[in-house]
Amino acid sequence: MNTPVHKAAQSLRSAIRIVGFSGLGILMVTMSLTGVIARAPADSTDVGPELTPPSASYPFGTDLLGRDMFSETVHGLSVTLSGALIAMLVAIAAGGLSGFIAARFPWRSGYALRFVAGIFSAVPALLLAILFVGIAGRMQLTIVAGLAVAPAAFARAFDRARRLGTSPHAVYARASGIRESTLLQRDLAYEFRDTFLSTAARALAAVTIVISTMSFLGFGAVPPARDLGLMIASARSAYIVGWWTAAFPALALLLVVLCARLAAGLEEGERP
Amino acid sequence: MSETPPLLTVAGLSLSRGSRQQLANLSFSLQSGETRVLLGEIGSGKEAVLQALAGYSVRSEDFSGSISVRGQPPFSVTRLKPDALRVVYLAGPAVLPLSPHVGVIAQLSRVISRKLSVPLATGRTEFASALHRLKGAPPLDVFEQRAGTLDPEVLVWALFAAAFAQTPELLIADDPMLGLGPTQAHAMIDILREEQKRAGFALLYATMNTEAALWLNADVTVLRQGKVVEEGAVARLSGEQAHAYTKTLFRAAPRLALGDNSPRSDRRTEPVIQAHGLEFDTNGVREAVTFELRRGASLALVGDRQSGRHALMRAALGLDRIAAGRVILDAVDIGILTDTMLTRLRRRVAFISGDEDVLDPRMTLWDTVSEPLRAHLNLPRNVVAEAGEAALKRVGLATLKSSAPVSALSPFDKRRLQVARAIVSAPLLAVIDEPLRGLDAFAQSVMRDLLKVFRQQEGPALIVITSDFTVAQALAEDVMVFKEGKIVDRGPISEVLRSPKDTHTRQLIDAVLARPAGL
Repeated sequence: MNTPVHKAAQSLRSAIRIVGFSGLGILMVTMSLTGVIARAPADSTDVGPELTPPSASYPFGTDLLGRDMFSETVHGLSVTLSGALIAMLVAIAAGGLSGFIAARFPWRSGYALRFVAGIFSAVPALLLAILFVGIAGRMQLTIVAGLAVAPAAFARAFDRARRLGTSPHAVYARASGIRESTLLQRDLAYEFRDTFLSTAARALAAVTIVISTMSFLGFGAVPPARDLGLMIASARSAYIVGWWTAAFPALALLLVVLCARLAAGLEEGERP
Repeated sequence: MSETPPLLTVAGLSLSRGSRQQLANLSFSLQSGETRVLLGEIGSGKEAVLQALAGYSVRSEDFSGSISVRGQPPFSVTRLKPDALRVVYLAGPAVLPLSPHVGVIAQLSRVISRKLSVPLATGRTEFASALHRLKGAPPLDVFEQRAGTLDPEVLVWALFAAAFAQTPELLIADDPMLGLGPTQAHAMIDILREEQKRAGFALLYATMNTEAALWLNADVTVLRQGKVVEEGAVARLSGEQAHAYTKTLFRAAPRLALGDNSPRSDRRTEPVIQAHGLEFDTNGVREAVTFELRRGASLALVGDRQSGRHALMRAALGLDRIAAGRVILDAVDIGILTDTMLTRLRRRVAFISGDEDVLDPRMTLWDTVSEPLRAHLNLPRNVVAEAGEAALKRVGLATLKSSAPVSALSPFDKRRLQVARAIVSAPLLAVIDEPLRGLDAFAQSVMRDLLKVFRQQEGPALIVITSDFTVAQALAEDVMVFKEGKIVDRGPISEVLRSPKDTHTRQLIDAVLARPAGL
């Protein structure tokens, strides 16, 4: 398809992805410069007066214990984003990569794995994460979040790899003696080139939501380590009188998820 | 007695896009019941004529020229209204005009009902009655299926029926037979002419091959790079007095030489493939065959789609499980090999196919041509590079960027890239499957020559799968003719051409021999 509408849609999608990746880049720079940007160490109480609204001195205000919300939000962002990046790698390895390789297993074993992944992907990732935390413990939250997101990624990658493996060009390549391993290498290389970034960005959005929600529910980060989810949860009691204590961490979380979704081109799955 | 004014008069039709003139000053007229063929390669300007008259993608600022309908005062070419002239556009299955996911009748009934401004049910009835009129058409219920599940040979009937059901006054046919075998293409041309005689519509037929022009036996406008090279009756244009371009165009068309007695290759080289009582299955019909193909020899499997040609090839190469019989490929009985060993053995088998999706569209030109060497042999980079470059040079692709993705190549370039890939793999056996399908006359001519040189220089055994006896004759020495899963004729190709044993063989030969009287 090369219609003007199609071209315009492609340009719009590219622009959206550039905005998303730029946003993620800024957030990652913020994460790596946390010590410089944050004005106080993490969880430092009595930095300022209690429950001060946003002002020139405290741009994000302070909370009930006099913690500087700006510094806390930067620290929380750093904890959440670094955890999410590890979880994303787990999701890609256990989901996308494994799904791609499993598609080349002998028919029954490959489809058996696909079947299992299909069942797990039918369960919301959050419930899976709660189940896995119960088994592995909350210290493994990042791995758990990655594994919770993996079944859906596995199923998507498996289906895509099966389609590629049975496409006419693969059939012809096999007929002229090209080995299965060569075809797999070829597919992995092109998939990495063409879809890795959007797959990674989509996984990042998913695991960020899982990690933050787990922390919000009390299954994740343990104080004094505070990620954005836990910050929002601990601000619940003061929210009515000090909206800024929850709003800024929530805004930071929204930025991470939004930038990741934009970087994935706002796509839910594989483009046909 | 007053003369009937022409149904359509086109004067000074031009199309410019940016600085490029795609069509310059084309004029012609058509009477009801008359046919005109627009003959030219891709980009010759015939597409612009179809766009203007069929009314799609027309931007008034790009076009100039006027149209007059039935002698009425002329108006701008971009203002042809449906109530002035009922123009119907007929595309062939090769351009995938239907959505593959929706039933054929559902889609075409909608087109008919919109065109005739009638309810959908009436559109369906019109389609059914038009299909019923077509001699040899498949039954209506076949077209309840989704378009993606039907072969082009079946779909073409539906497209013709839908076009006729719209009761055209002017039918614009955009190479509707492209990619079809000669037997069916010839049959469809006959149907088109019969329907034209019955309904009396004018026919504007755009094509890039001379065969259709010869079969239609009509007036031809030869276009090249947007300009009219020559006009006239096909009988004259195909003769000696034609313009050099036209002459080349007509000479590029293959001819069957019935009296050809060129000596067979008598090289007694080692056998590449030997099949003993090999059974193959085509839609439930089983056939057994014994044959041998030596290095340098060639065998054409001639027949229509689903006639058993591919089933035999797949069984002979171990791509399908062998039901009965033995196949010795490169001195190894493939029946005792594991899949891995068989894949290893097939390294010396190359494929050149007319299908568009044989090559991985994501790969670059360079990766595609060098993959057989990289995958099979542990050669130094410079050796791979030299072999790849030499092969690309031989097929005329050396000037293209080696980093260009396959998806960006033209069908002709993709076809040549397959030949280059076959050259570097130094095959013992090459399977050449409808190698000229969908190419224009020049590209066909170049491709035919490339394959001949490939055969001479690399000397593999060839299996040529085709429905066109001219291709078989150009590339093979022996032939098997297939019909509905059975082999109905076999032997040296010159003998089969001289004295075919089966009526189906006769039909296949006649399809490429058929010329209007005097040509």
